[in-house]
Amino acid sequence: MKKMHLSQKQKNILLSILAILIACVFLFPLYWIVVNSFKLDSEIFASVPTLWPKGITLKAYQDQLGSLAVTLKNSIIIALGSMVLSLCLSVPAAYGLARFKVRGMKLFVLIFLITQMLPASLVLTPLFLIFSNLGILNTYLAPILSTATISIPFIVLMLRPGFLSMPKDLEDTARIDGCNTISAFLRVAIPIARPTVITAACFSFVYAWNDLAYSMTFNTKESMRPMTSAIYTFMNQYGTKWNSIMAYGVLLILPCCIIFVTMQKHIVEGMTSGSVKG
Amino acid sequence: MKRRLALLIALAMIVGAVAACGSSGGAEQSSTTARTAAETKTAEAETKSGSGDRQEITFWHYMSEDKEGKFVNQAVEEFNNSQDEVYVTAQYLPREELMKQYTIGVVSGELPDCGMVDNPDHNSYASMGVFEDITDLYDAWDEANFMEGSINSCYYEGNLYGLPWGNNCLGLFYNKAMLDEAGIEVPTTWSELEAACEALTTDSCKGLAISAINNEEGTFQYMPWLLSSGGSVMNLTSDGSKESMTYLSGLIEKGYISKECVNWTQADAEKQFASGQAAMMINGPWQFSGLAEDAPDLEFGVAKVPKTDDGEYASVLGGENVAICTGANIEASWKFLTWMTSKEKSQEICKSIGRFSPRSDIDIQEMFSDDPLNSVFAEIMPDAQSRGPSPDWPEISAAIYTAQQEVFTGQKDVDTAMADAQAKIDEINAE
Amino acid sequence: MQLNNRARKEKFIGYCFIIPAVIYMLIFIGYPIIYNWIISFQDVTAKTLNSPVRDIIGLDNYRAIFADATFRKALINTFIYTVGCLVIQFSLGFLFAMFFAKKFKLSKPIRGFIVISWMLPVTVTALIFKFMFAEGNGIINAILLNLGLINEPIGWLLQGSTAMFVLIIANSWVGIPFNMLLLTTGLNNIPGDIYEAASIDGATGIQKFFKITIPLLKPTIMSVLILGFVLTFKVFDLVYVMTGGGPVDATEVLSTYSYKLSFQLFRFGEGAAVANVLFVCLFLVALVYLKTISKDEVI
Repeated sequence: MKKMHLSQKQKNILLSILAILIACVFLFPLYWIVVNSFKLDSEIFASVPTLWPKGITLKAYQDQLGSLAVTLKNSIIIALGSMVLSLCLSVPAAYGLARFKVRGMKLFVLIFLITQMLPASLVLTPLFLIFSNLGILNTYLAPILSTATISIPFIVLMLRPGFLSMPKDLEDTARIDGCNTISAFLRVAIPIARPTVITAACFSFVYAWNDLAYSMTFNTKESMRPMTSAIYTFMNQYGTKWNSIMAYGVLLILPCCIIFVTMQKHIVEGMTSGSVKG
Repeated sequence: MKRRLALLIALAMIVGAVAACGSSGGAEQSSTTARTAAETKTAEAETKSGSGDRQEITFWHYMSEDKEGKFVNQAVEEFNNSQDEVYVTAQYLPREELMKQYTIGVVSGELPDCGMVDNPDHNSYASMGVFEDITDLYDAWDEANFMEGSINSCYYEGNLYGLPWGNNCLGLFYNKAMLDEAGIEVPTTWSELEAACEALTTDSCKGLAISAINNEEGTFQYMPWLLSSGGSVMNLTSDGSKESMTYLSGLIEKGYISKECVNWTQADAEKQFASGQAAMMINGPWQFSGLAEDAPDLEFGVAKVPKTDDGEYASVLGGENVAICTGANIEASWKFLTWMTSKEKSQEICKSIGRFSPRSDIDIQEMFSDDPLNSVFAEIMPDAQSRGPSPDWPEISAAIYTAQQEVFTGQKDVDTAMADAQAKIDEINAE
Repeated sequence: MQLNNRARKEKFIGYCFIIPAVIYMLIFIGYPIIYNWIISFQDVTAKTLNSPVRDIIGLDNYRAIFADATFRKALINTFIYTVGCLVIQFSLGFLFAMFFAKKFKLSKPIRGFIVISWMLPVTVTALIFKFMFAEGNGIINAILLNLGLINEPIGWLLQGSTAMFVLIIANSWVGIPFNMLLLTTGLNNIPGDIYEAASIDGATGIQKFFKITIPLLKPTIMSVLILGFVLTFKVFDLVYVMTGGGPVDATEVLSTYSYKLSFQLFRFGEGAAVANVLFVCLFLVALVYLKTISKDEVI
């Protein structure tokens, strides 16, 4: 029985092919979205679906452009604001829970778990009351504060094991060298955990970017609506305009994709930079 | 590392500043209407120069900009230009969102001055305390002439909580070419309809498209059938009621109506008709614009919903009401609402948004006498019955559309489904 | 003495790191949780929503919902849905994480592509799957028919069982990259040297997996599972947009039913009660999670 020894190069090619196959099957729905965004209405409703559009039209995209300037700006502000707020609150909390022997650690972890348990649709009324009393309805603060409530507990619980698995040596070394706790946190722990922190930042950005319920409920003014609200234009009592919805989906992911592709580098760095040696 | 931290702080400051600007900007923009940026500038200029002592009120509606919304905005603009005392800002919200705002608004007190509401829902929201009692204002109004069915939907426990704005009803749309090809006349009775379906159904085309979805639209679509066979919402286990359900599920079983109707909205049914996958459909006049867009070359006609062989024609009344919300500027709002529903304006506005005026002193049949499609609906309107009115209508409706879904998906047979629905309705009424 | 002060200062700093986030969540989510509990014990319907004083009816709302067949169905559906999703998402997510952790040329870009599915807003995902699985002109039926795997189109969203299946597939499509990402980050945190040392000692791939990867990954795995459970259990948008809980109530889940009770049938008290049942279920699962992590305090 001869054993097959594949050279590294052959292995690479095989794995790459497998990866492409997996991607093709897995990403078929995405392909479907893009293809359908270019189809004519009549083709979308034809009784036999076509894998490639017979007639290409940009109309679905043109329909989106109407209020794009305002909604894009709103989405960016809400998503960035929510991301910054979440990171400022949750990264220290995750670090604190991982590194410090504080009493009530379990209680805090429980609190972060519990506060994720209610679906957004069910906290609308009480949150509305809070924001109404604070006078921040129809401002950017309301969606920022509310979307942050989704990312914060999630990031804390996601980063905590990340910080836990990091060996303490580097921070201890820094301390011996005279850093206080906060500097050790900012200058040593975060850079090492950078890939995880960046992933956390991406998560909170995407969650806030994709938010619909909070932004719509707390901001009734059209000028404050984010990009996600456009879906109502394409899904109402006049029917579901599939091609417009597909175009809408494509436009919505684009910014997130761009961010993610650029951030991938940092995650890669973390993977290849190795860690504590010796 | 320091740079990264500095960057983060700078970012936070920028976002904070913008967010703060956003809040004050929001306050300034309180008189912005739902128009494009260019028009907004003109509107703001108008406000600043002309508002002075003008009372400002808000009007929330769910007619989207690209369809009837623009006519609503036109009407509002006309009102604002026609007098100096009241300035109305119209705001579009998607329908479900608006209903949610009403519900939350009861608790939080954040309600607009005037609002639009679907007529079967009016009672529920009135019972919740969303709308102001305007009985006295109405009694003192000498132009108060509305059709009974329409104004009835605004009454709750003997008091009036709004005015009807525009009505519509359901009819039978048919594809002229397909009917001609199959050599069939437009069906007028249930037997004729079944025969027509049989002749028209092919592999790629169903005879009839309806909506039997699990929300109000499903109930809305079922009503004409229920009423024509002598059935009633209060007695779903009567022979008449059961007959209608049996008839419809029979059509589905025989393949004349697609099984997917349980997932279709009325708009989805229109898409089926427009793309030639259904020869006929039950729908309303608001679909005319959609059909013109989706299938401009399709030649179609409209007829009354077929009646039982020995029964009467029946249809169901749909449409929107407008009302004044609690805590609003009642005087200014009343001015606006009475202007919109006045004899002079009602006809014009309704025609532009594809509705029929609910006023009894407007002859809608005469209004549309030269429009072959709308005139059929105008003919149907007087016989269209309203749903409810009842503050529990959402629950009653839920019992009905659930029964319809259960029968159409084969989960329960007609007798059981209707009995279960009736039990639920009895329970609701007993409360 | 100095040591005591130092230790106390440490503890204080530790609290300072943690407390802001805790307070934030308690204000913005703690209040809604309490609000829901209060309402669930009151008689709150369309008529009483506005009244300043509402009857306190104790457990009546809870009795009402447990007697409601739709609620019981929703409860079971939610569990079936969550467990189904979790099994598929986690196993495939793990597989993908391991696969793409191998160093071959296309691993990073393709992994980046796969994450896109998670970045789509859930409403769009729900709609695209609804579109693909439509009986008449859905692409899935078209492909299956062409491949000869089925003889006539399947009414995916027209029958309860298949509708639930489509929901699970759709959610897994979103959840797999999510699980994959989290597990990848966890895998990255394992120093490469350990594997090298093990190889030198003669460990096989499988041994390395079970004796090194899994134990070191345990905190991450537990986090991923608990987060996955919580986030999947409270699904709303996906179900609401794709099936609305239908056909009839075949895909009704706790959050959609609670929403319907409150915002469509105006039975607010019962809606809050259903929300609380959802909450309690998750709470119990959280307690189990806490028990497991207390054992691995790696400090």
